[in-house]
Amino acid sequence: MSLWVDKFRPKTLDDLHYHQSLSIRLKSLAASADFPHMLFYGPSGAGKKTRISCTLRQLFGSGVEKLKIDQRVFISPSKRKLEINVVQSNFHIEITPSEAGNYDRVVIQDLLKEIAQTQQVDLNAKHRFKVVVINEADSLSRDAQAALRRTMEKYMSNMRIILCANSTSRLIAPIKSRCLLMRVAAPTPEEMQNVLEHVAKKLKFDLPEEASQQIAEDSGGNMRKALLVFEALKMQSPDLSGSLTIAKPDWEIYCHKVADLIVQEQSPARVLEVRGKLYELLAHCIPPTIILKTVAERVVERVDEAMKADVMHWAAFYETRMRLGNKKIYHLEAWVVKVMSLYKHFMYNFDMADFE
Amino acid sequence: MHTIKSSSGSTSKASRKKAKLKTVKLDASSEPPNKKLRTPPVDRGDDRLWVDKYEPTIEADLAVHKRKVEDVRRWLSEAFEGGSAGKLRKYRRILVLTGPAGTAKTTTLRVLAREMGFEIVEWRNSMSERGPNDSWMDTEALFDKFQAFLTRASSCCNIFAASSAIVSMQPQSHTQPKFPSQSSTSLPSTSSSRPSNCHLILLEDLPNILHLPTQARFHDALQSLCSSSESGPPVVIIISDSGLRGENAYNDDTWDGAGGARWSKKETIDIRSLLGADLSTSPYVTRIAFNPIAPTLMNKALQAMLTKHFASTSGKPPAKDVVEMIVESSNGDIRSAAMALEFACVVTLTKGGGKGKTRRNAAGSARAVLEVVTRREQSLVLFHLMGKILYNKRKGDPPATHLSTRDAAKERELDETLLDPSPLPNWLSEHDRKASRVCLETIASDSPIDSSLLGLYIHENYTMFCTDVDQCDGVCEGLSWVDCVGGNLPSTTPHAFPTLALSTLHALPTPVPRKGQKVCKPSWFDVRNKEQDALEGVGDVVTWLGHGGASDERAPGRWTHADVALELGGWLRAVDRTGIAQLQLPRTHRLFSSLPWCAGGVSGNVLGEDENGEADGVDGDGDIRVLGALRDQKEGKGWWLESDDIEEAE
Repeated sequence: MSLWVDKFRPKTLDDLHYHQSLSIRLKSLAASADFPHMLFYGPSGAGKKTRISCTLRQLFGSGVEKLKIDQRVFISPSKRKLEINVVQSNFHIEITPSEAGNYDRVVIQDLLKEIAQTQQVDLNAKHRFKVVVINEADSLSRDAQAALRRTMEKYMSNMRIILCANSTSRLIAPIKSRCLLMRVAAPTPEEMQNVLEHVAKKLKFDLPEEASQQIAEDSGGNMRKALLVFEALKMQSPDLSGSLTIAKPDWEIYCHKVADLIVQEQSPARVLEVRGKLYELLAHCIPPTIILKTVAERVVERVDEAMKADVMHWAAFYETRMRLGNKKIYHLEAWVVKVMSLYKHFMYNFDMADFE
Repeated sequence: MHTIKSSSGSTSKASRKKAKLKTVKLDASSEPPNKKLRTPPVDRGDDRLWVDKYEPTIEADLAVHKRKVEDVRRWLSEAFEGGSAGKLRKYRRILVLTGPAGTAKTTTLRVLAREMGFEIVEWRNSMSERGPNDSWMDTEALFDKFQAFLTRASSCCNIFAASSAIVSMQPQSHTQPKFPSQSSTSLPSTSSSRPSNCHLILLEDLPNILHLPTQARFHDALQSLCSSSESGPPVVIIISDSGLRGENAYNDDTWDGAGGARWSKKETIDIRSLLGADLSTSPYVTRIAFNPIAPTLMNKALQAMLTKHFASTSGKPPAKDVVEMIVESSNGDIRSAAMALEFACVVTLTKGGGKGKTRRNAAGSARAVLEVVTRREQSLVLFHLMGKILYNKRKGDPPATHLSTRDAAKERELDETLLDPSPLPNWLSEHDRKASRVCLETIASDSPIDSSLLGLYIHENYTMFCTDVDQCDGVCEGLSWVDCVGGNLPSTTPHAFPTLALSTLHALPTPVPRKGQKVCKPSWFDVRNKEQDALEGVGDVVTWLGHGGASDERAPGRWTHADVALELGGWLRAVDRTGIAQLQLPRTHRLFSSLPWCAGGVSGNVLGEDENGEADGVDGDGDIRVLGALRDQKEGKGWWLESDDIEEAE
């Protein structure tokens, strides 16, 4: 038994349930002789990776599904060993360079050079090039992106690159201009319900309309999340009837409670309490940007109209600092304190105005 | 190819005289009187440094806290005799003594060796590789020699053992004998009742641990030493905490979203890198951490040294306040204190022994000279540094209630020297502050920690010292700004520290209300360790998913770390609840998948007065022990921060 998300993942472009026009375009691209570098972008859980693997299958046939994992060792300039997991078939190779942290440039350079310098030896291969799939391309450092840019031009004959990212805003312009951009939008609730029903049919049970509706709404366009929630629900109450309480992820609830703490009271002691909570979130591997975003959205919901813009402004401000700095907690906390201070002054002024 | 050099103690007439003095002292202590003890030879013409000349030879002379010595003694006796039940011997294989330089780690061991009658076999890296007769074929790698030394030392015993207490074994026969001053003075074995094969291996001069292959072999060597069933001699390893500043040494890579790998390779020697992860937590290894020597103990030891010295030589011992000054400036390092004391006796510092002003001036100049001589990099204890910053004293603050009149006067005196800042224009009036009593230059140069660790300490503690969120905002903004700007600068930038301190001082209220705040250690390290563990859990789940879970289908590469951490939690918990056993989920997923909300804050780890905070964050296990020891040492003195003034117990 594997996860439903993995089990019922479409394998070919024809199997895909939504974004039909995109599938058609991908199919014709794969059929043509010159396949470009590509950049898939869109929100998480929209189906970027699924589309990439379907496209690869379209390009090379079922051979791409024979995967193996290699652990590759790279040597950083400071002679440090970096071990990176590389997933590859005979036709493509898939890496997540952000696993190398600050040394992603080394990984990108070494790996791409190696692939680019080897010719495809399989005579039966449909194409002469290999494909390199780079996950989480938007977390690549500037250095790595610059390295990528050069390689993309130089080794075009042997290699194609498919980048996968959440947004294009963190990619440098030269890379964007060298790729064919493919936006994979989040599915609509109806499309998600279709998928859920498809899964239910495959598993031979009935999915009540309300349940699928609720799951689709709650997952906010994230197909993977929807399927996971669906599976977890099915595990808990096998008949999926009655009122279903769809539990949000723990960390999300946690973030909301943190937001409540911020709005309830503004004092140094409360700052300390909130810090404890933030530490707890960080200790559970929740990325700090996600924490900031989730808490900020919740705070915005709960404060007065006049303050909303400020809260978001400071969230953006401290997120930038967080990316530049080292210790995430400082910036998270600085934002919390800033919001508290704003809120306090706002309430104080508000009271005064009311009084007069 | 090894020489066994045994230097037997040579007793001269002068030393006999000393020995007499010594025995008197001995009788006063609780030592059994029948033990015959002799002090090291002291000649007029002896040009050794005082540190070596007056090295303690009995336990009563040691300036180390009694409990520490007792710990070491117990361990040693357990290692040789197996403790009360006789079974502990198996687990007393490796003892690691840690602590800052000059805290009498080696001396303690030597003294105990003398008293308990075992011998120390010591490894020394020899750099003079080849003698004239050696062909290059003969040279073996240094580490091979080390290994040979270990096996030989653990299986053989010294044939000259009966006559010598300390044997220094050297890997090469061609090295000339050590100068008598260097190999520590050795005495005839004090109790010959013990079997002569009682010896232990001392590793102080370690092989190059920072070289990874060497490190691996070192671990293997120690591991095999531990696991070997027949009981060899115990091994004592002495590590001086090097003065690394800040946590940058622990390689603090950025948190770049989930899935970012954090490469933790240590550049410094500490117990973990030295012994490896599994060995340092195994029952075979005991760690005893030495603290900087307490001022009272140090004072006593220095006085004893003076009495000894001036009993044999003519001359006038330095004044009492000079000794106190030395004790104060030595920062718990007795070696440096002894050096300074010797210096102070060579040149007479206090010339005018008169009363009143002249005397004070003389003391002042003596202080200045001594400060230049004994000046160490870390002369401000972290505890006081935090007090200075967080209490934010400014000119004209009312003196704290517990201050003595003398200290209050001192404060007023200081205030007189401070200039009032020029008045700010109206639109900046909110930034108007009184002149600060904190001298930024001094604290920046004397700080035992670097700016990033200072940031962590401020961050952990500032909330208690603020009365309002606006003040918190100022502090936080400063931290955030320095971290953000400092992220792109080399960590050695000289501006980060003053900027941090200044922004904090500016933001804190004046005066800071005193409500018994306790300075805590940053919990950041704990959180980071927890996070790293959780990240490993995520990694385990990713691998598990990559292998297709429990099914045959392998589907690697579909899950990224971030996806797993953010979205799989609910599913994992559901699986746990339903208890589907055949899934074989990695247990470690619980580290990140469940995040229950519990109300209330977190309690911190309170910083003790004499701690230097350097390696604290990384080893939580040692903390409790250190703190406990500190509490003992304090002898009733409040062990949390009450005042930022350095006051020595008189």
